Amino acid sequence: MSEFHPRLQSVPPHQGRGWAQTETDQPAGWIPTTGSGNAGTGWALGPGSGSAFLPASPRVSSGSRQALCLWLPTFELRLELVRSPALDSTSLALLSSGESTRRTIWQVSERAHEAGVRPGQLVSQAVSLCPSLTLLEPDPVHYDAAVESMLELLSEITPILEPAGRGRVFLGMDGLGRLFGSPERQAKKTLHSLFRIFPAPLVAATRAGFAPGKFGAWVAAAAARSGEPVIVGDSDLAGFLAGCPVSALPVDPLIVQRLERLGVQTLGELRRFPEPSLISQFGDEGRSALAWATGRRIDPVRPWHRPEPIRVSLDFPNPVGITETLHGALDRLIERALSRPTRQGRSVTGARMGAQLEGGGSWFVQTVLREPTAQRERIASPLRMKMAIAPPPKAVDTLIVEFTQFGAASAQTGLFDRRDESGRAAAGRELTRGEVPPSLRDAVKELKLRLGHSPLYRVVEVDPWSRIPERRHALLSFDP
Amino acid sequence: MSDTPWLRPLGQPKLVVVRTVENGGPTHVRLPGKPARTVEALRESWRIDDEWWRQPISREYHIVVLDDGRNLTLYHDLLDGTWYAQRG
Repeated sequence: MSEFHPRLQSVPPHQGRGWAQTETDQPAGWIPTTGSGNAGTGWALGPGSGSAFLPASPRVSSGSRQALCLWLPTFELRLELVRSPALDSTSLALLSSGESTRRTIWQVSERAHEAGVRPGQLVSQAVSLCPSLTLLEPDPVHYDAAVESMLELLSEITPILEPAGRGRVFLGMDGLGRLFGSPERQAKKTLHSLFRIFPAPLVAATRAGFAPGKFGAWVAAAAARSGEPVIVGDSDLAGFLAGCPVSALPVDPLIVQRLERLGVQTLGELRRFPEPSLISQFGDEGRSALAWATGRRIDPVRPWHRPEPIRVSLDFPNPVGITETLHGALDRLIERALSRPTRQGRSVTGARMGAQLEGGGSWFVQTVLREPTAQRERIASPLRMKMAIAPPPKAVDTLIVEFTQFGAASAQTGLFDRRDESGRAAAGRELTRGEVPPSLRDAVKELKLRLGHSPLYRVVEVDPWSRIPERRHALLSFDP
Repeated sequence: MSDTPWLRPLGQPKLVVVRTVENGGPTHVRLPGKPARTVEALRESWRIDDEWWRQPISREYHIVVLDDGRNLTLYHDLLDGTWYAQRG
């Protein structure tokens, strides 16, 4: 493994945000990814997922110790180049999403990088550095579709898949030696399988690293050259990691900065510190950093569970840019999605709103709900807020709503729960005669959506003093 | 379903099969879909004659205790001779 170390150590220090530049024969991209399209610190995050190195869901008890990491730097930009090959000869930059003003650069092509354009720069700065720069709006729906097809394909090789951002996926490879041979053959077979869905330049740019645990595999993939997997065995792991820069650690970037200021450049140098010193300086992350640096901590690849999303869409006869119209359409779509039989018995905890834009491109916002709910307004409200912060950049051809995460139905509030719309309890206040609690009103609306009519009834007095029992009371359909 | 609210009377009588003694008191009751039950006790009886001006109603009500401990309200329609169970 020693042949990789000089190259790893020559990697430029932390330069900014976003993925490293795109050139395939460039040194590995050690640059942590923060902001510009990805939330969180230190590492690229998966679609709606947390860091790849956080503990997985407790219901998944086991995983795969041997990990293969496939990493395609600037995945989104490369997809754009595949879609429009003519752009390959231009200086190209992908804009970040989620900002209505002061747009920044997300990913840059090699030519743009040579001209001085960097991820995180303001558009005005980038254009002044490179007047011929071509700017592209991101198309997240297209990127997600590519990720989906990649995951589907890779699931034929191993059922243990853990995506960590759009351009990075971990594969659990335990027990595949008898099927595919040595780790190198396993990695090459996996890379080769990508030819079925991606064109050759995209596959050629994919880097692969095979090692025990996700951290080792990721470091190996980042050290790999395009098409040449780096294989790290159990006995080689500690030695391999010793030469890696500390910026590879999936910890708070401030910790990395402090280590570098202290002159600690590699994981080998970090290992010289006693654990209590690192804990006293950096807390629990200091302990984790040492465990990763020494190769003691092996994070198995956990199978990624994602329920089938419920997706509804609405095509507008003419492109729509009016916010009120989009809000109305959002409400109708949420109602439709809620009434889907596949939602029965489940509440919604995560929703996503997207759009196909006029003249191409797409846009989306997503939200994780504070409480599981099946109420339209509680789902629509955060989406509307997100839309106000990051509105669609162009008129909308098709509006899409997806429920992506689900909770238990038991988390619903009681029918006679006296809470107002904001969820605040109406403490000490009795319901006045004839008043309908909001939760009951919402429940009736939901039942009407699902069944087509309200199945609830109110008991009314017809002739309470009648001698004939069936004349005394009756049921009246209840539709507040 | 139309949007017009509609009323459904509560306490509609259900047709039952009743075996009686000579004086008309019920001794066995069979509710629809259930096995026949013996009447252990007759708690109360009364008679209703009403609405003679449009569609006459003439019923003899009995509250009985069945052998499984349940109380049941029965009435005998004196116009057509059928028996019904009724809540209320």
